[in-house]
Amino acid sequence: MSDPALFSAPRLQAPVIRTGLARILWREPSVRIGSVLVFLVLLAALGAPWVSAWLGHGPTQQFRDVALSETGLPVGPSAAFPLGADDNGRDVLVRTMYGARISLLIAIPSTTLAMVIGTSIGLIAGFFGGITDRVVSQGIDVALSFPFVVTALSLLAFNRGADGQSLINPMLVVIIVISFFSWTYFARLTRGLVLSMRHLPFIEAAAVAGASRKRIVFREILPNVAPSVLVYWAVQLPNNIIAEATLSFLGVGVQAPAASWGNMIADAQRSSMYQVQPWFLLGPSIALFITVVGFNTISSGLRNVLDPQRL
Amino acid sequence: MLMIRTLPRLFARTLSTLVIVLVSAFFITRLAYRNPAVMLAPRNADQQTIDAVAHALRLDTPWYQQLWYYVYRGPDIQGAPMGLAHWPPALGYSFRHQAGVTDLILSKVPVTLSVSLGALVISAIVSILLGVLAARRADSWIDHTLSGFAYGALSVPTFLSGMLLSYFLYFQLSMHGINVFPGSGYVALTDDPLQWARHLLLPWLTLSVAEVGMFQRVVRASMLNVLGADYVRTARAKGVPEWRVLLRHALPAALNPVITLGGLELAVIMGGAIVTEQMFGLDGVGRLAITAALDGDFPVVIGTTVFAASVFVGCTLVVDLVTRWRDPARAV
Repeated sequence: MSDPALFSAPRLQAPVIRTGLARILWREPSVRIGSVLVFLVLLAALGAPWVSAWLGHGPTQQFRDVALSETGLPVGPSAAFPLGADDNGRDVLVRTMYGARISLLIAIPSTTLAMVIGTSIGLIAGFFGGITDRVVSQGIDVALSFPFVVTALSLLAFNRGADGQSLINPMLVVIIVISFFSWTYFARLTRGLVLSMRHLPFIEAAAVAGASRKRIVFREILPNVAPSVLVYWAVQLPNNIIAEATLSFLGVGVQAPAASWGNMIADAQRSSMYQVQPWFLLGPSIALFITVVGFNTISSGLRNVLDPQRL
Repeated sequence: MLMIRTLPRLFARTLSTLVIVLVSAFFITRLAYRNPAVMLAPRNADQQTIDAVAHALRLDTPWYQQLWYYVYRGPDIQGAPMGLAHWPPALGYSFRHQAGVTDLILSKVPVTLSVSLGALVISAIVSILLGVLAARRADSWIDHTLSGFAYGALSVPTFLSGMLLSYFLYFQLSMHGINVFPGSGYVALTDDPLQWARHLLLPWLTLSVAEVGMFQRVVRASMLNVLGADYVRTARAKGVPEWRVLLRHALPAALNPVITLGGLELAVIMGGAIVTEQMFGLDGVGRLAITAALDGDFPVVIGTTVFAASVFVGCTLVVDLVTRWRDPARAV
């Protein structure tokens, strides 16, 4: 009974499993490709201040005398402006790189917030069932049927004070609005998983062994739900990057002059200057595309490895 | 038998969802627009006019009276109340447009329906063809190209694909003297079907790109499932021509998940249509909703929200019913 090998054996195995998982993930080509793309985006986001300092162009600084021609048209790519300038004489490359920061700074917190809220609500609904479950399901139905753009627009109007100035940081409002629209997916996923798990032998065994509800939810159910939820986090992240870009494109997300890919693309369209200086449009568009493709590729790879039977 | 018991529950749930959406939309707009009367009254209106508008909207009463008034009675316009309980039922009155919200929405629905249904039909046809092709030649270069296309298409937001399409197909082509696509505008179907289709081609393409990307993968997966079945092998052994095996034997069985998704996608497409309408200058429900949300025209915001929710809930309900009808055992 007191043979130490019996007790130490599982602990020895844990790190072996962990390195094994990383290796299995890396063997999946889409995880490798996606990681490279996401790494590039992270590099751009982190390196933005250095590139900005090196070129001597701030993200909101205007260089109307050098970056605009005599007729006021933005210049194309050159050594000083690698991706050319926009209609206000700002550096497109520097702004695109700062755009990566904004994009991640909004999408990551909002997806995480949605995950925490959605998973908690799903756990509660699935575990308690009955009337709680019915109320939560009704709430999910309601939240799902709200049209995203319209509701987001009126919620963001809420933030505009009498003098037209924002009351709280608009970035915070965008984060809240986006998570308000994505918690439902996490809640539905978790609820379904908990319902299918609730009467499995290991849960009943824990209950018979006298485990408290808290212990069953947090120590038995949550660890088994977590992998699917985390994979879903990666699935939802690129959608939320697109949501931020859409709101900024419509002029209600990140406010000018801060650089977001959405409002840069809107700028390009509004001024029609992309017809003279295509990189004004292509810079932020390609960045947005690479980011979303990168995260989509990683998440489909993760899904193949961690959650093969679902979706 | 099962239907008789579950149908009323399904309808009750649909109805309760819509009622809750209506009430929450009311509260959201009440919170969002601090002083709607100022936003709705004419520019530079004097205090008296603002007060009159506020009174007409019952903004000077407690919230429960406002809610009751909004839902049940509505403001008196030309002596007739414009509420849900009166005939014709109306979701309030827009002071900005000087019209009942329901009439406003109904007048814009043809545009939105043309855009979304057209996009749905186009993407369904293209996806079924491509999906069957990909399943037939699974793991060939065609299959891999289509799978790459699916990734790409899913990663482009609607507003970006709309811009790129209008840049290349409208701007570049008309620069070179080819005026195939108009840049914007709308012609009613009843006026001129050809011009109607011509004006909607770009919006349809914009909305279809992302849809086809995902839809064809679903058709492919479902077809692959069915193609492995015994009865397909039997059909082939009988000497049925391959196209007939694919289209007459396998496809109908493979369509179940496609129909489910198609119904839900209609709601997604109508959501995407909001942005597309804005881009191509189409005067539809989406554009009405965006301007109303920015202007503080709250009866229209509530009305369009309820309209969008009804479309979503309606599509879900129809999908649910169709799934039950086609395959009662598998219904959830």
